[in-house]
Amino acid sequence: MVKRLTVRFVLAALAAAALVPGAQAAPKLRVVATIPDLKSLTEAVGGDLVEVDSLTRGTQNFHEAEVRPSMMLKLRRADAVVENGLGLDAWADVAIAGSNNADLAPGGRGRIDISRGIQVLEVPTTRVDRSMGDVHPQGNPHFSLDPGLAPTITQNIVDGLARVAPEHRAAFEQNRKDFLIKLDARMADWNKLMDPVKGSKVVVFHPVYIYFLTRFGLVQAAALEDRPGIPPSPQHLVNVIRQIKDERIKVILVEPWNDVKLANRVAEEAGAKAFVVASAVGAVKGADNYIAAIDFNINTLAKALR
Amino acid sequence: MRAFALTVVALLLVATPALAQDASALRREIEQLRQQLQGLTERLQRLEAQPAPPPAAPPPAQPAPAAQAPSNPSTQMSPVSPTELARPRQPFSLYQQRGAGQLLFDIGIAGDFVGNLTQKNVEKAGGGTFAGRENRFFPREIEVALFGQIDPYARGELRIESGEEAAGDEMTVHLAEATLTLMTLPYGTQVKLGQMRNRFGWSNAVHEHDLPWVDRPDVYRVFLGEEGLVEKGAEATWVPDFLPFYLQVLGGVFNGDNESAFGRGRINHPLATGRVMAFFDLTDTMALQVGASLANGETAERLRSTLLGYDLKFKYRPEGWLHPLLTLASEGIYSIRRVERGLDFDGDGIFDAFQKQTKHRFGWYASAELQPWRRWSLGARYDATQYPVAPGWQWAVEPYVSFYPSEFLRFRLAYKHTDKSHRDVSDLLGNGGSSRLVDELLFQATFILGAHPAHPF
Repeated sequence: MVKRLTVRFVLAALAAAALVPGAQAAPKLRVVATIPDLKSLTEAVGGDLVEVDSLTRGTQNFHEAEVRPSMMLKLRRADAVVENGLGLDAWADVAIAGSNNADLAPGGRGRIDISRGIQVLEVPTTRVDRSMGDVHPQGNPHFSLDPGLAPTITQNIVDGLARVAPEHRAAFEQNRKDFLIKLDARMADWNKLMDPVKGSKVVVFHPVYIYFLTRFGLVQAAALEDRPGIPPSPQHLVNVIRQIKDERIKVILVEPWNDVKLANRVAEEAGAKAFVVASAVGAVKGADNYIAAIDFNINTLAKALR
Repeated sequence: MRAFALTVVALLLVATPALAQDASALRREIEQLRQQLQGLTERLQRLEAQPAPPPAAPPPAQPAPAAQAPSNPSTQMSPVSPTELARPRQPFSLYQQRGAGQLLFDIGIAGDFVGNLTQKNVEKAGGGTFAGRENRFFPREIEVALFGQIDPYARGELRIESGEEAAGDEMTVHLAEATLTLMTLPYGTQVKLGQMRNRFGWSNAVHEHDLPWVDRPDVYRVFLGEEGLVEKGAEATWVPDFLPFYLQVLGGVFNGDNESAFGRGRINHPLATGRVMAFFDLTDTMALQVGASLANGETAERLRSTLLGYDLKFKYRPEGWLHPLLTLASEGIYSIRRVERGLDFDGDGIFDAFQKQTKHRFGWYASAELQPWRRWSLGARYDATQYPVAPGWQWAVEPYVSFYPSEFLRFRLAYKHTDKSHRDVSDLLGNGGSSRLVDELLFQATFILGAHPAHPF
């Protein structure tokens, strides 16, 4: 008798649990971002409604990411993929093709290109070819860590996620709004820190920072690579060293995947200092999310240029 | 009534000049608007016809750039209608950056030149790696590739190539690949059809100019011919989403035109192919890919021929490196082929009966490549293979060094020593030729022009 009652009770409890709305957590939207900056921004916009993974790590050169089948597996399971666009993550097309995920095929509802509406810098005005190195015919694609562009990027993410899950649009919009308010507050601090060094010149290894530098009133005076993606020639380095000395430039910005030893040698020769900064979320220790990465760069530059 | 009519006439007489003035003002306004619209249309057309202009100068640093963010971002949201949500968004987004009059697909050109130096007797026997082209420098593969989205559902790829096939021969242009891939099929499936390099093992699908060695491994050349397995037909792939690792299951049906292993060339007696490939991320820096392949068809003599293959590939790419430091690879083919052997009982040189036999043969290779610097890599490959029908075997060792001035240009120098158990039939031409022991110095120069999609792993 007791046993029968227990069984009935368990069955009733299970039935009740199945009937109560929200008793079971709704499955999260599975999103894959091609680079960690976009993972962080998608997490900010998606909140608890999404589960985001990145195809690359911040310490990698996104131009030359190796297309691994493990990327294809992530994409196979994904409801949406967030892409940088402008040629930075063109390799993602190969990974998507190998994922056999119809939703992510070109033109599919799960493709989210965050470069829509971005005011692109360094768009070539003359005919380009590869004698100029790895030039991007559509312009410089390294815009994701410019906090001033976060509103546009997050709007694209909201629109993309809402295509896949229209019922969550209001939540995505609210998350975006909260994130931008937080970012706005940090922006005031960052501007305060950067105001005294506005107009300072810096040298970069690869032209990754133009949006960020422009945003905070800094000037990219030269690049160690005379042609993007091609190892620098000795003559070019001699010229850059001379320029650094002549213009009393204090800082060389380096990505983790650059030849840091070479940057240090040039800096030493020219009387400047090379800094490995967060070229992406996760590129350096402490730059674990979008705001932390910008924070790291601002603090590094503000100190170095003072 | 008369009074009413008079009043109306009087009012009309008074109002007409005023109406005329209004109409004239309206016309002027409309004309102004028309001119404005025309100006804007022309401007828009000009802008659309040109690439996006660069900013004249970097935008000045604005205080509080995030102030660009609306104080209430949600108010900036563009309302999306249900119709808009229902249809696929940006169906041709790949081409939005392109200007008017530009192609809606990509074009890539690959040039692959090979040179070799070998012994005189090998040249006479035509027994070098590039048979009939010993002691020559020649364009092996000049390829024009056109590829892109056909529509939101399918992708097309066309490769046309030319190259020297024998010394002195006129070079002909031929179709290397032409495929159509259906990308929006359900349940993680895709179908590719046309003429293609088959996904048998991992290196068979790789074009000559993209191989990590100067020449295709001996096991492929011996069992499938110099070009490997290139067939006409269709193959379908399935990628399950419930496994903790990437697995691709492939099945295909082809004509079976490859004369080295099959040759029946009929879709009603097809060459059936299959492959299972799994990939494991061992760590962030190390990965392993393993695969097993099958090809089963009929020879021109209508006898069964089956190839079983394995492939392994391991890569170690230290954190932050732009290239792998170490790549290890191995592939092997086990051939089971029915053959007909002539029996001459009376020794008159004429076969008196035919006997069917099954030949079991095996070949494999192992390769290691080290790339300590971005521009330089060095490696070696060891080949050992039996012949699919004839008795005997051969082994070879091929150390090489590659230099990459850039991602799109490569020079490679290799030395290959081949040791065969028997002299080839071609050695018996009576011209003093022999290719039992072959030493070759191989040189390769490869360039890429235009678009070239990344290769997976």
